[in-house]
Amino acid sequence: MSNATETELRAGHSTLGRQVALPVLGLAFLTFLATWATTFQWIDETRTVLGMTVLTLFGVALLLMAAGVAGIGVLSRFGFLDTTPSPTAGLPVGIVFGTLWAFIGMAVSLQYIGNTIVYWGPIAFVLGAVGLLTATLPREDIGSTVPSAVLLAVLGGLIVAGVLDATWVYEAEWTGAIFPGSELIPLLVSVATLLGVWSAGKAKEGFGAQGREVGAFYIIGTVVFSMLSVLALLIWFIVKNGLDTFLTGASLTGGHLNVPFASISFPFIEVPFVTNVTGSLFVETPGVMPAVVGTLWLVFGAVLFAVPLGVGAAVFLTEYADQGRFTQVVEVATNGLWSTPSIVFGLFGLAFLVPRISGGNSIFVGQLVLGFMLLPLVLITSWESIKAVPDEYRDASAALGVSKWQTIRSVVIPAAMPGTITGVILGVGRIAGETAPLLLVFGGAPYPSKSPNVVGQFSFSTEPPFITNQALLEPASALPYQLYATITAGVFPRPEIYSNQEFGWGTALVLLLVVLGLYAIGVASRLYFRRKLHYE
Amino acid sequence: MSSNTVDTDQMDSQLTTSGETAEDIEDAWSDYQFQGEAKLSVEDLDVYYGDEQAIQSVSMNIPEESVTALIGPSGCGKSTFLRCLNRMNDRISSARVEGSVEFDGENIYGGRTNLVELRKRIGMVFQAPNPFPKSIKDNISYGPRKHGDLETGLLPSLLGRDDTAEEMDLVERCLKQAALWDEVNDRLDDNALGLSGGQQQRLCIARCLAVDPDVILMDEPASALDPIATAKIEDLIEQLAEEYTVVVVTHNMQQAARISDQTAVFLTGGELVEYDDTEKIFENPESQRVDDYITGKFG
Amino acid sequence: MLQQIPYRAGEFARDVPRRLRSYRARTDDEALLIHALGGLTTLLTFVLFFQSSKWTVIPLLGFVAVTAVGWRRQQAEVAKGLTFLTTIATVSILALIIGFLLWESKDIVEHMGLGLLTKAEEPLWGASNEGQIYSLTPMMMGTALTTLIATAIAAPLGIAGAIFISEMAPTRVREVVKPGIELMAGIPSITYGFIGLTILNQYFYAEFRTPTIGNYFAAGIMIGLMALPTVVTVSEDAISTVPESMKSGSLAMGSTEWQTTKSVTMPAALSGVSAGVLLGVGRAMGETMAATVMLSHTKGFPSPAFDVFSNYGETLTTVIAFEGGSASGLQLSALFAGGVVLFFTVMVLSIASQWVEWRMQQKLGGEK
Repeated sequence: MSNATETELRAGHSTLGRQVALPVLGLAFLTFLATWATTFQWIDETRTVLGMTVLTLFGVALLLMAAGVAGIGVLSRFGFLDTTPSPTAGLPVGIVFGTLWAFIGMAVSLQYIGNTIVYWGPIAFVLGAVGLLTATLPREDIGSTVPSAVLLAVLGGLIVAGVLDATWVYEAEWTGAIFPGSELIPLLVSVATLLGVWSAGKAKEGFGAQGREVGAFYIIGTVVFSMLSVLALLIWFIVKNGLDTFLTGASLTGGHLNVPFASISFPFIEVPFVTNVTGSLFVETPGVMPAVVGTLWLVFGAVLFAVPLGVGAAVFLTEYADQGRFTQVVEVATNGLWSTPSIVFGLFGLAFLVPRISGGNSIFVGQLVLGFMLLPLVLITSWESIKAVPDEYRDASAALGVSKWQTIRSVVIPAAMPGTITGVILGVGRIAGETAPLLLVFGGAPYPSKSPNVVGQFSFSTEPPFITNQALLEPASALPYQLYATITAGVFPRPEIYSNQEFGWGTALVLLLVVLGLYAIGVASRLYFRRKLHYE
Repeated sequence: MSSNTVDTDQMDSQLTTSGETAEDIEDAWSDYQFQGEAKLSVEDLDVYYGDEQAIQSVSMNIPEESVTALIGPSGCGKSTFLRCLNRMNDRISSARVEGSVEFDGENIYGGRTNLVELRKRIGMVFQAPNPFPKSIKDNISYGPRKHGDLETGLLPSLLGRDDTAEEMDLVERCLKQAALWDEVNDRLDDNALGLSGGQQQRLCIARCLAVDPDVILMDEPASALDPIATAKIEDLIEQLAEEYTVVVVTHNMQQAARISDQTAVFLTGGELVEYDDTEKIFENPESQRVDDYITGKFG
Repeated sequence: MLQQIPYRAGEFARDVPRRLRSYRARTDDEALLIHALGGLTTLLTFVLFFQSSKWTVIPLLGFVAVTAVGWRRQQAEVAKGLTFLTTIATVSILALIIGFLLWESKDIVEHMGLGLLTKAEEPLWGASNEGQIYSLTPMMMGTALTTLIATAIAAPLGIAGAIFISEMAPTRVREVVKPGIELMAGIPSITYGFIGLTILNQYFYAEFRTPTIGNYFAAGIMIGLMALPTVVTVSEDAISTVPESMKSGSLAMGSTEWQTTKSVTMPAALSGVSAGVLLGVGRAMGETMAATVMLSHTKGFPSPAFDVFSNYGETLTTVIAFEGGSASGLQLSALFAGGVVLFFTVMVLSIASQWVEWRMQQKLGGEK
């Protein structure tokens, strides 16, 4: 765009800068991905591509990036490119480079001079100061390209020259662990490419305010992208490793669905891993049925305990209590309960409930403890949603001569229900995956051979407490506890069918399905209710 | 995206719905001549929010160094139109703009417009005062600082490029221009959120002046203020017109009559019905609908 | 100020009889009786339960009966009383937790004194020729190390993620990423632990030759990943409460979006974002399962202190989870003391984050 009508109002950066910056950006993104692929060992670091090992290739890529970035910076400085740089790259940039150089100085001098602060201290300080000044003193186009180009070139050069290669090992003074080049180099290179991305992004927009914006966008975008990839990878690991176990003996029509109270049964999906017991010698495929049933009972009991308490307290706090000290205390207490570590709830159950209820681990205590954990979330969400009910509703109802309690029952609570339901579902998702307190108050045998039969165990007597339920007072298993038990037990009782790890992955997958299913329902219902509120 | 061609079908349908003939409309404003140069010229501007059309084929020239008022009933699209002039509508993802707006002869909806440069030269004051939660001084120096015109702090002072003195001059000049200096000169380091509504709005005007724009857009700048504060803002607008091109949206007809040199009347549906000297609009409008609106028969 | 305190106290004291009178005047005799009976039976139930009496069920049935009768005759009053009881129950749970933690850790405090928190020489844990010694110091060190590593990961990445979601991402990306991150918050910690154990620990052991399988560094990374969604969601909420008009004001002056984010949005949201980070730190500190399965449960001090690859590995949470099931006597008491340390640290973080958030609302003029 070098025609005569070019003015300041048109984006004022040259195409040459762009043409150099874009390939550098592309190369940096590719290298970034490749380094992580190498770290995850999808690419073997000793593999040769284009006659070079992967690591050497990284080095070459870094050198190319360095040349490109430095080229744009220098051309811009001497006026060959139409850019809009600020007088300086700024103090934050200087601090980043200063810290990087200080660390380099420290690591190198620790390794080659000695583990005394008298030696490495001054070196780190001097290098840090040089890094800071070289980034901040020159104009922005130099200050934000040349320092990163130097870092890229040093690292790339060392790799290409073979000083750093797969067999090189960093043996640190301060730890027993060692850092082999095959693992360390991809890491260093990926950090360096981030620098390259930043410099090239700035250069692409001709530096200045808009250059900084693009640089920040690329860095943050890359970071968020990696974060999401890691989280997606976690799920993928579980699905990949657990699916085989999960589907052992599964078929679409092999099972039977029995219609209750009628002797009809339909062919149905069969997943023996979910429907079989764990510890019996008589089943072909050991499954996690007892744990599934245990989790269901735990969640059921916790909800039964927490929802009336939480909603009741929320109603009292919004409708009856004066807004002041008391509500403030309750709010702080609720938030405190919400952030209390789960293991502390377990300790409390162990000290308070276990001796008074069952004298040992039991389902009932587990239900109560998880109920305690669920309570603050139910309270907070229903509090929020009752507060969100407009006062006009209450006034309108009162103006019709309806009493306060009738108004609460027929106007306030129904209007607050959606929010509360969503909160409960999200909370259930959290407690269904909770393990720590269960270790202390709930868990029983690692591989149970039957599911807890709570419904059939109620018995009545003339002695207090008149009603007892033996099943509720016995330990059981739940999905997260089952996974923990599998991890710590070491050997699966029937190794010919599953190894310990295979069974663990399967359990993890079932647990993940249950918990994420609950969360998905919670998030979806929140979206649904929100839409309904906004558009109706 | 943007097209400069006139969509005749649309034009026709719009005219039939408005209930007047094409000649009436044309006569009402298209041959409006004013003294001096056109700073902004808008041609066939259409704005859609999703499927809904908010501005219908508006064309008008806005003269420099004067106050142009945009009036009309609420929902007539006058604020939308104003936000097109510095492309603030880009913030709304469902908004779509067609047509052209030329600023000093250059189409700001042409490709590769530098929004930063554009908004530096066309400043804006919003309906509700929106000072930053910073000190009064920092509110004023925010713009120049972001554009690299002012540098203060540790690094610039080490490099000998410290602009603290310039900053103080700028703050004083802008606050004086916005008639706020006498009220706040002893507390420049206080948080701007502690000022009264009227002071906050004048601070926002001062903040806008600090960037030294050519055009100042004001979106009902006095609607959230009490009568005394409103009077101060109105005085200020009249003074600003000596140096700047001011475009002000208002729903208050008396205000428009008091402060503006020319007035454009928008009516429901986002059409520009009449545009002329303010005196003419208020005393002898061409269009019957404008007359009805001005005399309060509807609106 | 000081003179006002007795004045206010007097005011309050005079207020109590007035309130009582007004309560008495508003409530008819029958409702009063039901309230009294309900309160009495609740109290009795709790006292008997506390005494582990098998007669607990009697007042409980009494309470149910009173409620049932009351519900038929005085529904509004009973509903009010019940909601009041639920509020009291919530607060008392917290009070009970604090009380029991302190009570159960009394023995070890008497036995060890301040050494419980400061003793740094061997023997550190268990019965030895010096008698029974339980020192929480190595576990506090372990908790500090894992929390530091986790925060170093979760804070910058979480803030970057929050900025990306609320300020940078196009609407469509945001609609996918935000619920996605919330889903991540739902993955159970034991699952993270299992992945960490089978993949991360093995990786460090095989490639970096760590002295044992399991180290603070790997556990810290996993805990950081787990705390990440908390930081992202809370910070994102804070950033999106900054009014749009403030951002428009900045953009209309020709600042770039990034300048607006950096100089207007982030400073205004700073306290909310730091509340998010504090909550994340709290989560990381209280995180149990991932660390329990990933760490080696060897108690001691790495040397130098920042050697996060050493063979030591035990935190406050892991020692409770790992030994709580089988411990008794002084050892159990020491675990409760660990719980006290943990609980109060996290409580301080929680209260600090609430205070910070309250400050933010004040600063933005109370608008939300």
